[in-house]
Amino acid sequence: MEEKKNFFDKDRTRRDFLILTGKGLGGAVVSLSILNLFGCATKYVAVFPLAEKLLVADASRCTGCQRCEITCTALNEGKIQPFISRINVSKNYNFGKEGPKINFTHADGQYGNRKMTLTTCKQCREPFCKNVCPVDAIFADKNHGNARAVNKDICIGCGACVQACPWHVPNVDPETEKSSKCITCGACAAACPTGALSVIPWEDVKIAMNKREQLLFC
Amino acid sequence: MADKPYGWTGKILRVNLTTGSISTMDTAAYKFLIGGMGIGYKIMFDEVPQGTNAFDEANKLVFAVGPLTGSGVPCSSRTNITSLLPTNPYNAVSDSHMGGNFAAMMKYAGYDAIIIEGKSPKPVWLRIEDDKVTIADARHVWGKGISESTAILAADIGKEASIAAIGQAGENMVNLSVIMNGASHSAGGHGGVLGSKKLKAVAVKGTGSVRIACKGTDFVELNRYMKTDIIGANTQHVVPSTPQPWAEYHSPTSRWTARAGLSWGAAKPAVETGICAVGEVNKVGYRTMKSVLDLGPLAEKYTVRMGGCQSCPIRCHSQLNIPKLATYGVSPFVANTCMGFHSPSIVMCKGVRDQFEAGDANMITRALGAKLADDYGVWCNYGMLGKDFKYAYEHGILQNRLPREEYDSIPWDLLENGNPAFLKDFYRRIAFKEGEFSNLGLGTYWIAQRWNYGQDFWNDAAYGLWSPMGYPKHHASESGGQVGALISCMFNRDAQSHTHMNLIGSGLPIEILKEVAGELFGSPDALDAPMDYKPMNPYKARFAKWSLARNCIHDALTLCNWMWPMAVSPSSGRSYRGDTALESKFMSMVTGKEISEAELDLAGERILTLHRALTVKNMNTTDMRGKHDVMMDWVFDVDPEVKAFTRGTIKMDRDDMQLALTMFYKEMGWDEQLGAPTRATLERLGLSSVADELERLNLLVS
Repeated sequence: MEEKKNFFDKDRTRRDFLILTGKGLGGAVVSLSILNLFGCATKYVAVFPLAEKLLVADASRCTGCQRCEITCTALNEGKIQPFISRINVSKNYNFGKEGPKINFTHADGQYGNRKMTLTTCKQCREPFCKNVCPVDAIFADKNHGNARAVNKDICIGCGACVQACPWHVPNVDPETEKSSKCITCGACAAACPTGALSVIPWEDVKIAMNKREQLLFC
Repeated sequence: MADKPYGWTGKILRVNLTTGSISTMDTAAYKFLIGGMGIGYKIMFDEVPQGTNAFDEANKLVFAVGPLTGSGVPCSSRTNITSLLPTNPYNAVSDSHMGGNFAAMMKYAGYDAIIIEGKSPKPVWLRIEDDKVTIADARHVWGKGISESTAILAADIGKEASIAAIGQAGENMVNLSVIMNGASHSAGGHGGVLGSKKLKAVAVKGTGSVRIACKGTDFVELNRYMKTDIIGANTQHVVPSTPQPWAEYHSPTSRWTARAGLSWGAAKPAVETGICAVGEVNKVGYRTMKSVLDLGPLAEKYTVRMGGCQSCPIRCHSQLNIPKLATYGVSPFVANTCMGFHSPSIVMCKGVRDQFEAGDANMITRALGAKLADDYGVWCNYGMLGKDFKYAYEHGILQNRLPREEYDSIPWDLLENGNPAFLKDFYRRIAFKEGEFSNLGLGTYWIAQRWNYGQDFWNDAAYGLWSPMGYPKHHASESGGQVGALISCMFNRDAQSHTHMNLIGSGLPIEILKEVAGELFGSPDALDAPMDYKPMNPYKARFAKWSLARNCIHDALTLCNWMWPMAVSPSSGRSYRGDTALESKFMSMVTGKEISEAELDLAGERILTLHRALTVKNMNTTDMRGKHDVMMDWVFDVDPEVKAFTRGTIKMDRDDMQLALTMFYKEMGWDEQLGAPTRATLERLGLSSVADELERLNLLVS
């Protein structure tokens, strides 16, 4: 259970990840989709509807106020805790994604070049978070334009989705031990005092990244 | 989780650095004082013996926040720090405050307050990860600046942690030193107290939450209303600084500087602030383009963005990339606001010259000075450090007092030539207590004693000293006449009350402001036009009391008093009326317990009276009028050719000001002669144990 609480620790090895996932599966065999994630399989068989919308961020406009995170957790959790927001700003606020290194004065973050590094959910075509979930708690939510959402009634809080996501977008709330992720509701964008966020029609992450690196992969 | 209250976390952390003991206690007993400043004063009153000095082991330091901190209410990440103040001649109690993320993080870690007591034998830092609290060895960061120390400790506890640290100034127990978090958010005055306790930093990583009692949708709706209808720019300036199509009024002194063509020029790509009309919620954060106000027009192209505190839609801390700063051996990235930038210019008392391009003199000076002072952790006593230095330099005091060798080692040519490289030498000597010169770091009162400054220093309006206790005016008689003057008399350092300024400075025409003042205080005569002051009246006393009570309540809730309260609004549709009940609306929503505006103001009055009682105890006298609420002569003698209450002067009248004090004491229910709290008032405010202690000390007026 200790691992669930360490939702800041992103440096797990693949072996650790397999162990974690294996625990979540309760000893069942590793699924095809997990193998896919590891590059061990080439074909994905499930049919999963595409999301209709996508939350994107313009890092040059972000001032780190965290009103997006506050609004997100107020509406979705009924409490305030930026670290469990479905958009992530505060985790990288001080020292960017990499944390403090010898060159911190010129690296990302408030103690460096002042650049905020936001992470937003890409609503992936083949969501690793869904594919890895040992209890199939992540689904395409019809009420939110097929956004990839967590069914909290089923979620066991194992954190496999957090690890599987290349951007570690989902968060497991240590208080409830449930995962959560962006449902493209747009409340964060509505609350942003500098218009740094917007919800746009969905496009594949690979295309989007090529087209708008600044916006998505910031 | 089920037991956790709404708003508050319900827990206070107590760390004794002498014994190494770490414990928690319930917040419940302090809730009548709301939080923050209220908790801080009560702990100081109850637990720190009379006669204790700031750097004594018996002194305590309290980091405290309140029910709204971290709750997502706009402008709610303010940390209130309470301790004895070394710059004060009596080492009387004071608060220092900082924004940033630290306050909110304290709540997420589960604490309404952190009490630091005792004294460690070796350098340590306090490591807080939710309920896991340890005192850790800090020898590897002792001697390092705030920025590097923070990075090293963050590499240990985690990059997400919020870290409040002291620099070399604090370590060396320089009276003028700060505690800082978030690279530019500093609390001035108490860095040396942490230094005396050998506590380098407090690092907090909190993964818990602040619970709100209301529905999330209702909370977000009240936030939206505040942003569309009520909030202005920094310090609640509600008109733009330039004429704009949407705005009926404008004021050149407004901090609502956003306009077409003005950009964050160093953003990639550049971001135009543009016109940010009232109601445009996604542009509120662009309104306050502060870098050009603090550093001049050249700063536009070096502005990466604006920044500020967690939860605040008003971004008042300028974040710049000025490559030429590297010439001085500091990082080109710098952030600050207001006095953090202005103070180094005051140190450069012979003026400054352009260094690399036309018009960069002030920008380079202020950015370099901010960078140096913030890393060493030197406090400026609201600009007095530079003025203390100027007086000593210009009156030959330094030449007389410093050993010849030391005097000659100071690069006076840089100062005389307006070269900001002088600042490197200046701040280093103070932070490391190098030589006689570094006694400037003692603060105004002590250095004026030590070097025997003349009365011309104390009584010259140009130096702006407000009190014989050695602190300067900070929105005093020049801000509302007697109202600002009363506010400036009440604390043990410069008043950090912006309540009155958020109304007076809002940029609206005086006619509207007087109407608003009439609605709030019973008569438009509560507010005079700037530089056109009239004799004292009871409405001004009410205005001063309201300002101070709100100041106290904001530092208890905690909300930023540089934004709150919002008595006016930028909305013509509201006839520019703000909403002074907004604090109580948010408080009721978050805590689930209905509280009225009047009840909250009464809590502010309670906290202010507790501060008064604590000051009486610290100074060991009930004669607040004669010993504490004293103003320098220039307040009454400035502009000798004109009489007080003549248009065009800020001159006050001695008798009138004594009447003002009487009226104010009466409003507060304090003894009308002495200005000390009475038993009746203390009991009315639920502070009977405070009355008992004052009585035991023979300091209770009947």
